[in-house]
Amino acid sequence: MDSPLSIQDMKPVIQSPDHTDRPNISPSVSPSTSSTKDLQKSPRKSSESETETESPDKGKSKSPSKTKASPSQDRKRKAEIDEETRQKNEKQEEERQKMQVLVSNFSEEQLNRYEMYRRAAFPKAAVKRLMQSITGTAISPNVVIAMAGIAKVFVGEVVEEALDVLELWNDSGPIQPKHIREAVRKLRSRNTIPNVKKKKVLLS
Amino acid sequence: MAESEKDQFDEEDNEEDVQPEKRTKKIFSKELRCMMYGFGDDQNPYTESVDLIEDLVIEYITEMTKRALEVGRPGRISVEDIIFLIRKDPKKYSRVRELLTMSEELRKARKAFDEIKYATTK
Repeated sequence: MDSPLSIQDMKPVIQSPDHTDRPNISPSVSPSTSSTKDLQKSPRKSSESETETESPDKGKSKSPSKTKASPSQDRKRKAEIDEETRQKNEKQEEERQKMQVLVSNFSEEQLNRYEMYRRAAFPKAAVKRLMQSITGTAISPNVVIAMAGIAKVFVGEVVEEALDVLELWNDSGPIQPKHIREAVRKLRSRNTIPNVKKKKVLLS
Repeated sequence: MAESEKDQFDEEDNEEDVQPEKRTKKIFSKELRCMMYGFGDDQNPYTESVDLIEDLVIEYITEMTKRALEVGRPGRISVEDIIFLIRKDPKKYSRVRELLTMSEELRKARKAFDEIKYATTK
């Protein structure tokens, strides 16, 4: 706990260094309700195959059965689903423990940064005001929660990409606007950021 | 007297003269600084960088809101619209799902807590 953890120390604990792993490492308490199943059904990049079992009839077991619903088949399917949920919960529990080990070994500077990372959020009132000024109608609180969360992920993507650009250009110090602009250009070409400025030409 | 009035007018005009796209009043500055530090920037990020990211965020929220107005029930925004817009982006999609699930759990927990409190204080 005296020296800050290097990337080499953290490699065995972190599953994969690339950013697409973020959905896996959920910094929050992992809800162990059945709605975690929805999480798994979401369209994810293929790197998350470890959360999905490889049984060939998995697709069949997840979708509502339209074929004959004999009681033994129902029971079998239910057992499969229960097994998958249990595996999922196990994996989440394992991940949480790994996170705990990691955080307990942070240096003070790392702890500070991690605290800021978890705590920083957009004020719901300001987001709601902004959205209402655009729509003119009332906005439900769930929408505000979702939008504030998405905006935070957006900032994360831009800042992380800007840090990559900074490293690529062998600069140092705080991020400068030129890094951010290059980062945004890269993200737009990857379609991560919606492009407003491009004019769609259908037939020319 | 007339000149000071004109000065007052000028000042007012200058304040309201900014185009709707440009933002002089920053609404996210404090939180954004903390957020950038949390995501890896320096402990004191440059003000120009913070401003630039704030403009980007506001543009992003605006764009999403406008698109959400067209999707689903036109003229209204529901959570399903947001989820639909975000469906291709794995990070954001799973984050939204996680947030809504947690928010629902918190609501249930709060309700259960209130019921217990009501039952015990009756």
